[in-house]
Amino acid sequence: MNNKLAPHIEELTKALENIDIGESQIGEELKKLLDFRVPLDEAKRTIIRKFRSTFMPIMKIKDITAGLKGFEVTGRIIDVTEKSVNLRSKETVIFSGTLADEDGACSFTAWNDNSLKSGEVIRIKNAYSRSWHNRSEVNFGQRSHIEKLPDDTLPSIDELCKTPAKKLRDVANTDLSVSSVAVILEYSHKNVTVKGENVTIIEGVVADETAKLPFTSWVSLDGLDIGSVIRFENASVRMFRGVPSLNFNENTIIGAVVSTEELPFTFESANMIPEPVAIGEIMVKDGMFDTVALGNIISIRPGSGIITRCPECNRVIQKNTCRVHGTVEGVKDMRIKAILDDGTGAVSVMLNRELSEIVYGRSMPEAEDIIQKAISQDAVFGDMRQVLTGKYLAVRGNTSSNEFGIMLVAKSAWFPDDNTNDRVSALMGRLGNNREGKRGEVYNG
Amino acid sequence: MVEREVAQRLFAREFNDSKFSIHPELYEVSHEGGHAPNFLVSPVGSKINRLFVAGVVTEIDNIGTEHDLWRARVVDPSGVFIIYAGQYQPEAAIFLSTLEIPEYVSVIGKARIYEPESGSVFISIRPEDINMIDAGTRDRWIVDTAELTLDRVDAFSKAIASDLTGTELIGHLIRNNSPQGLAEGITLALDHYHTDEGYLHKLKGVVLDCVRSIGTGSGGKDAVPYEDHVLELMKEMDMGKGIDYAELVIIAKSRGMVEGVIVAAVRKLLARGMCYEPKIGILKVVS
Repeated sequence: MNNKLAPHIEELTKALENIDIGESQIGEELKKLLDFRVPLDEAKRTIIRKFRSTFMPIMKIKDITAGLKGFEVTGRIIDVTEKSVNLRSKETVIFSGTLADEDGACSFTAWNDNSLKSGEVIRIKNAYSRSWHNRSEVNFGQRSHIEKLPDDTLPSIDELCKTPAKKLRDVANTDLSVSSVAVILEYSHKNVTVKGENVTIIEGVVADETAKLPFTSWVSLDGLDIGSVIRFENASVRMFRGVPSLNFNENTIIGAVVSTEELPFTFESANMIPEPVAIGEIMVKDGMFDTVALGNIISIRPGSGIITRCPECNRVIQKNTCRVHGTVEGVKDMRIKAILDDGTGAVSVMLNRELSEIVYGRSMPEAEDIIQKAISQDAVFGDMRQVLTGKYLAVRGNTSSNEFGIMLVAKSAWFPDDNTNDRVSALMGRLGNNREGKRGEVYNG
Repeated sequence: MVEREVAQRLFAREFNDSKFSIHPELYEVSHEGGHAPNFLVSPVGSKINRLFVAGVVTEIDNIGTEHDLWRARVVDPSGVFIIYAGQYQPEAAIFLSTLEIPEYVSVIGKARIYEPESGSVFISIRPEDINMIDAGTRDRWIVDTAELTLDRVDAFSKAIASDLTGTELIGHLIRNNSPQGLAEGITLALDHYHTDEGYLHKLKGVVLDCVRSIGTGSGGKDAVPYEDHVLELMKEMDMGKGIDYAELVIIAKSRGMVEGVIVAAVRKLLARGMCYEPKIGILKVVS
């Protein structure tokens, strides 16, 4: 009997080679199932499933995304604080802080007292992750196993906390803080209320030759304005809808850069309309700030045309009934939801009334007229499809990802210039190398 | 998150050379979100579920018996896309039923494969959206499609040169900046078609002809380019017994015309009654 099973046990061992179980254990499991007269194929499947589920991938912090379960991660505790939270109307103590490895950092929450101290290197088995403040956070609870590792497993806290100097394009959600040099493109003051206190903050946009990013400053930026080139160190990074934003606070060192001749960008170059990005590239990012996409409108989605909004909350409503505010006097609006596709990827694009009027070529009153004449709410939607489907469109705005894919909310939209001639020349060059005098040959194959 | 299938850009030649389709239940079950699309794999590795084409409609027929079933031929410079719109594509069917030919159109649709018996494969498009476009948009589509086709050909060349297969090849291509979908498509295509440099070279020739076709013809809406040239040529070739169609295509090509354009011109001439087909494959000019 055992001899007959040997090849199957070997096969299973091979299939489960990443998992810490012995051949003998697999043999026992298989024999037990066969004793119940489970068919061999089904028994093998069952064993693979059983042990696969205990298989724990080892993750680096930078690769952790929200919603993972049962992985293993190693990191050094940068800081940890005890918090008292109200969990299902029961006072519970949790421990949260920051965990870092060589190339990333993230926040963590421990739901049990593991007497963690800052500076310790720990390995967590069966951890899970969730989204917290728009980033992924490592969580470990009752079923997780924590092991303390020797101190020399990872670099020291000082080294792990050094804020990397980065180009703005490379700022990602595993950066807790960054340093860089950039020029201020937008700058405005704003009054906000924080914990009942009025505070004036500064909001704006900074850019270098690679990207633009929004920033918020909680400290005054005396002597700086639009056009100033700044060097900042230890600016904290927050995520909003997949787009990183920089936060300048009392820990950030900010100074004006005086000699700007050596820099690879100027205010003018950083402030230009960005070059169109292949939509395939936009799709692999959770969010992009101020980007341009160019493609064909391959679909005008339902919900485009004349719509009615709730005057209180701006939600789109039907028959003057808002699901939050009840019966209301709806406000008419116009919009276009389109799918833009360039052959490398597809994004949904949102155009507001102003942009819809430009792109569609009719004003909202004209569109309402169409509905009146056709006595159909769908008339404008149908007409938009006829006018726009297939056309080339360029849009500029921020992208974000949600459960329906990547969406770009347009700040501007235009029909791009026809550059066919230049591209034909480029194509001819690309095809020209080995092509002269071979026309006939091509067809005979 | 269910990602929308990207509308692939490819010329009719590459599309019609595709004979290999993947059904997810055979291929991979573990697609995120549970629902996995069907793909047609082209010889150079396009994984086609949805596609976007721009071309000239040269022929529309209602071939349905019980219900309307509209069949249209949409011509690009390399060949013909066949479009079927039936009762479940009402908007496309209505559009086709009223369209006057020839007309520039854009078609967004899904690739369909029909295999009545093994060995014979029919490829067509089931339209989601058809719309009229202008000549400029058609030219731009040719340029887009040429660029993307050459990108595929270049990536495929790298795949052949690497001598790798399977997951190793996919990894190699992704490291060389190919998108994931294309890397998978190329690996499947190489395994199934054994596409070689000869085919890539041929396809490059097709791309070149397509790019060269831009700007030829009057660009006017009702002129299929080269129509008069083809008619002249037919008169020249006819020694009394009619003209062999295949021979006409070869000679017209040798004079610098593109196959798709020749086919379109002949169809137009047939439709206008300038010539007729006494026997299949033989044409005769009406004198």
